[in-house]
Amino acid sequence: MSLEPQELEDLTSKIGRKPTSTELQIVAAEWSEHCSYKSSKKHLKMLPMTGPLVISEKGYDSGVLDVGGGYVVTAHIESHNHPSAVEPYGGAATGVGGVIRDILSAGTRPIAILDGLRFGDIEKDQQARWLFKNAVTGIADYGNCLGIPTVGGEVEFDKCYTNYALVDVASVGFGKKENLIKNHAKKGDLVVLLGGSTGRDGIGGSQFASDSLESEDRSAVQIPDPFIEKLIIEAVLEARNHNLINAMKDLGGGGLSCAVSETADALSIGIEMDVDKVHTREPGMHPDEIMVSESQERMLIVTDNAKLKKLQEICKKFRITCSVIGHVTSDNMMHVKKGKKTFARLPTDVVANATLLDRPSKKPAYLATIEREKKLKPISDYSKMMMKFLASPNIASKIWVYGQYDHEVGIRTVIKPGRDAAVLRLDNGKFLSVKIDGNPKHCYINPREGAIGCFEEACRNVVCTGAKPIGMLDHLQFGNPENPEIFWTFLESLKGLTDFAKYFKIPCVGGKVSLYNETPSGPIKPTPLIGVLGLAEKKHQTNTKINTDDVLIVVGNTKNEMGGSEYFEYIHKFIGGRCPVVDFAESKKNMDTVLDVIKKGILKNVHDCSKGGLAVAISEICMVEQIGCTVSLDKVPGEKLDTDRVLFSESHSRYLLVLEKTNLKKLEDILKKNKIAFGVIGKFGGEQIRFDSGSKKIMDLRVDKARKTWINSLRELVVHG
Amino acid sequence: MGTYDVHVTIENKPGISDPEGDTILNDLILKGTHSTITKIKAAKMLKFTIKEKDKKTAQKKIQEICDELRIYNPMVSKITIDVFDA
Repeated sequence: MSLEPQELEDLTSKIGRKPTSTELQIVAAEWSEHCSYKSSKKHLKMLPMTGPLVISEKGYDSGVLDVGGGYVVTAHIESHNHPSAVEPYGGAATGVGGVIRDILSAGTRPIAILDGLRFGDIEKDQQARWLFKNAVTGIADYGNCLGIPTVGGEVEFDKCYTNYALVDVASVGFGKKENLIKNHAKKGDLVVLLGGSTGRDGIGGSQFASDSLESEDRSAVQIPDPFIEKLIIEAVLEARNHNLINAMKDLGGGGLSCAVSETADALSIGIEMDVDKVHTREPGMHPDEIMVSESQERMLIVTDNAKLKKLQEICKKFRITCSVIGHVTSDNMMHVKKGKKTFARLPTDVVANATLLDRPSKKPAYLATIEREKKLKPISDYSKMMMKFLASPNIASKIWVYGQYDHEVGIRTVIKPGRDAAVLRLDNGKFLSVKIDGNPKHCYINPREGAIGCFEEACRNVVCTGAKPIGMLDHLQFGNPENPEIFWTFLESLKGLTDFAKYFKIPCVGGKVSLYNETPSGPIKPTPLIGVLGLAEKKHQTNTKINTDDVLIVVGNTKNEMGGSEYFEYIHKFIGGRCPVVDFAESKKNMDTVLDVIKKGILKNVHDCSKGGLAVAISEICMVEQIGCTVSLDKVPGEKLDTDRVLFSESHSRYLLVLEKTNLKKLEDILKKNKIAFGVIGKFGGEQIRFDSGSKKIMDLRVDKARKTWINSLRELVVHG
Repeated sequence: MGTYDVHVTIENKPGISDPEGDTILNDLILKGTHSTITKIKAAKMLKFTIKEKDKKTAQKKIQEICDELRIYNPMVSKITIDVFDA
């Protein structure tokens, strides 16, 4: 864990002398991939990051969106993959803590958490089950202790994550626009470290995250302490109310090294600090250790002499320690001392800005043949197959997971987990809808179209709640970027996301890149994860009880796009085929029209059609609402396809709408006027979920039996193996 | 063959923080007058009763069980095994 020879040369020439050991540690932490984004930064600029609602300010760790009425919403996404892979409980919990402090550092209160979890094949792999179980408990314990609801997320299992874990956490904050921290500092201001003590835990974590996980060198374990985090939140918000904070930054990867250098660089100031002033957990810590320790639950605050006393009073009230560790200078230098002795003195722009790399990229060889399909065994009994499918870990209800999370604390959650997207009530009378989505199976087959698909799916979910997408978070997770084939998949995904964001005018308000996600058996599949925030001005879609004779409509064409589908991969154990491709114009048209129809208030239920295709999406409505439905597959719009393809294709831009028969004409008129492809495909009633093709019965399931299997199978799998 | 009671103490490794122990110390003990206490560490203990041929084998067997079944995570915690005659 140190600098590459080239980087050492670079550093030496930039500062004109040999760096000291402390300087080396500081720079190694800050120049790690995790902190510096040296492989990705050049390319990330392509994403559109501005828009009418976006508020940008220097040094923000989270995206800020103006939601009207003097209020803002903040959002950020992070991952804690490497730590969670070795210590799932603590790794996942501290992941939650980190992203919450990013929200806090803009001066907003965290109001919701979402998490995206990915593990190996839990049906066969005991280690994957252990990771899954403990990561979920870690998130639940941490979030529940803080009183912040975990309102949604997603869980997926794939062999490519064997012996590994992807733990992504997104958080949303809310506050008054006037209370946003306007990061600024002037000479003589004081630098304060607030919160937990600095210990030897997590030393070298950011470099650890930038190495592949192969060796047993897994010292970077952090212990979560949600109660200190809760006190920090309250203390910081109180200090904010008293206007005591000039600038603020959370301590995450790279610890003090990154927080100090990045704050100084962003504000064009210098910072002189004394490691003896840092409150440590154990005596005798070396300055190098103090500078790179990644102990959790710490914040860096810039304040001034006049405000210090009040800040100390607040900290005392909440019983958290705060130490004045240094002051602001005007020389743009990061100066680290121990008592009188200097251990490091570096220009902040050198520390905070690693030399960006231009990594070579090359189209992976496997992509040349991946779209070829092989002959698959025909399904003899669809009903039997479907029951197995509903019990499979990726399709089964995730109630075992979100049932452990407090998703209601704070009384904002009006649409709770288990639906398309979560909806939160805001103080200005509007509603915020949030969702995160990923799909590594599609992204493996086509990194560009797969990433666009994740973006569209997250938008679709938000649209289903009646909200218009206003901002996006991207979390790009890939293997080792030094491999040109992997770097190519990263670039392709990024280009796809950029095109979609520009076309739909959805700005990217925050994100993260996590590279070097390698397991002992190779790189993970490309796993971009997209979060979308939507805003409903007055009303959101509320699903109501479905009655006999209500009708089911599908909006959008079903296409021959089976590659990466759950059906191909779980039922046929086949990876390949063409993955779904989003037609931007069609997508936009469908999205706008569905939003428009929702506003009319005639829909009883709106659901998006994604993983598992039409068959799963329709079954989900039936199982949740506990009513049967008879569906004619001939009426599904799109090209003429084989039965299994109509049932299980995962084509995008499709929505399921349920309404009373009396309102059907009204809906048809709107859809026809907007030239939307749609079909009236089903009628509710009875106790069977039934799919017919012409006069032939294809599939027939009892709703109650299907529901029982779908709801319980994940829990059974985790608890009983 | 003898019967042994084996106590397995699971605690965070030295240097890794222990919020539970710290909280008990700061919010309970030191709030009284027990100022002679300087440190508290929280731990979990499992008490096994095992039939084995001798103490050494009993200890070895329990260590194996704890490692194999992931009774603790060696990344975070250490265990201490004490064997007593039942």
